[in-house]
Amino acid sequence: MSHVTAEGPASFFSGKPLRFIAATILLVNGMFPALWILFTSLKTEAELTVKPITWFPHAPTVANYMQAFSDQPLHIFLFNSFMVALLSTCTTLLVSVLAAYALARLNLKYRGLILSAIIAVSTFPLVTLLVPLFEIMRALNLLNTWIALILPYTVLSLPVCTLMLVSFFEGIPRDLENAAMIDGCTRLGALFKVVVPLCAPGVFTAGILAFVNAWDEFLLALSFNSNPALRTLPVGIQLYQGEFAFPWPVISAALVVGIVPVAILIVIFQERVVSGLTAGGIKG
Amino acid sequence: MTTSTLTTTQRIEKEPPAWTRMLDLSDRALAVLLLAPAAILLSLIIVYPVARLAYTSFFSLSLTSGLPAEFVGLENYQLMIEDPVFWETTWNTVLITLITVPGALVVGMGLALLANLPFRTQWPVRLSLLIPWALPLSFAGLIFAWFFHSEYGVVNDVLNRFGIEGVIWFNSPDLAFAAICLTIIWKTSSFMALIILAGLQTIPRSLYEAADVDGAGRLRQFFEITLPLLKPAIVVALIFRTITALQTFDIPYMMTGGGPGTSTATLAMYIHQNTVSFLDLGYGSALAVVMFLLSMCVTVVYLRIIRTKE
Repeated sequence: MSHVTAEGPASFFSGKPLRFIAATILLVNGMFPALWILFTSLKTEAELTVKPITWFPHAPTVANYMQAFSDQPLHIFLFNSFMVALLSTCTTLLVSVLAAYALARLNLKYRGLILSAIIAVSTFPLVTLLVPLFEIMRALNLLNTWIALILPYTVLSLPVCTLMLVSFFEGIPRDLENAAMIDGCTRLGALFKVVVPLCAPGVFTAGILAFVNAWDEFLLALSFNSNPALRTLPVGIQLYQGEFAFPWPVISAALVVGIVPVAILIVIFQERVVSGLTAGGIKG
Repeated sequence: MTTSTLTTTQRIEKEPPAWTRMLDLSDRALAVLLLAPAAILLSLIIVYPVARLAYTSFFSLSLTSGLPAEFVGLENYQLMIEDPVFWETTWNTVLITLITVPGALVVGMGLALLANLPFRTQWPVRLSLLIPWALPLSFAGLIFAWFFHSEYGVVNDVLNRFGIEGVIWFNSPDLAFAAICLTIIWKTSSFMALIILAGLQTIPRSLYEAADVDGAGRLRQFFEITLPLLKPAIVVALIFRTITALQTFDIPYMMTGGGPGTSTATLAMYIHQNTVSFLDLGYGSALAVVMFLLSMCVTVVYLRIIRTKE
């Protein structure tokens, strides 16, 4: 991605001023909303209600962050979000590694059919499952548990991760595996000792996508887990709104706290995420 | 050391001497074993619920009434056809799809072309496309509700600076709808841009150089080289975007709650309301069946396109 650095003949336009303008547009478009929420979170309630509004906080304060944690159990929301996302990511990866290996390596009669089915499932509208899943979770007494979210989130990312891993596995020479098997490894042994380590970047990328998918999900979390102790972050954030009051600085602080973990993930693994998103994991 | 003992025991247990033949035989068994977890999960969370959904839609099943489910045939569907809110929310959903999908494509294309300029450092550009993608939809809804706040919102502030009177965005159905569409376009265009950017970077530069030699202008180059070569990537991205647009829930829920009235409510919000708030599972199922059919249409088109490519 980063090889397009030479001055050379530019692909579309060239010239420094244009690049400067382009960079400004891109950065403002991408960063401004998050920055604005950060600024809001640092303002006092008094500064927020001054007109005309101020852009940069005059007297930055972290009081809103303290209040975000004391008004509502924000740490519990974070913990729930993190555990649900982590556990569903692990399940997704385990299940999709096995399935992708079978599809990439074994000579299956119905390979094309299975792949088509997976692609069809990847476009499945999760919203329509709200009713039956609600019914099922209610019948099984799973409402207000992590499991009620982990199961659907696993399935949410399963098709995309499987398709992505199939293409990663196909890129690994079979000889390596055969060599391992001649050395006495079983097939599954070869999978976990040879193929998975070689695919680690791919598996990791699939994991990040699954994690972000689960971290972002709102509708099912809202519908299945109404108990405050089990709310995930997107659902918990609603609790800050009073009946009439809308404490924007505190809500902003809570939003910043919710954005930071994923932002860190994105900053560190940006190249990998981009390649994963654009390779096969095409889901907005 | 441990591995060698392990493998010998495994060999004794699982593998007869002619292990190659055994492998051929066990291919099918192994495939079944490896695909089983995925198959079980998919049937538990997708296949069975879909069947259940269709089944429940023929029943009157309201958890608030405490009555047992009663078979009512097509009554739920009949109610639906006579329900103005169903038509309004469906229309809103279709309208959001028709506005935000092309909108995200155009904005995303613009962002991708800008991001494809030869910047010396790539990471800030990449990051500014990734952040909107990674931001939860519900967060984007809240952030933009604050943006469009009538008193202290930054949108009205900017309008005032240009001498335009700020408006109360969420009091008028049309303005609220516009605010929601703008938010969705902002949130989803970055992902489009990433997909298009990846496509742009695979187009060989020599094509443009040849076009330069032939004297083709920039605009002609865009329409005759860039766009046709990007088409496959764009089509796939558009289909996924369409399917997610049909499910729009988070952003309107957070920004307006469907208001004023039900003027910005989507089908997904109506399904959620009937299921979770009214506990009317029969009617909720019938509504969900409609959404299922809507998105199946798109999926069928998608599978067609993939087939013809192969």
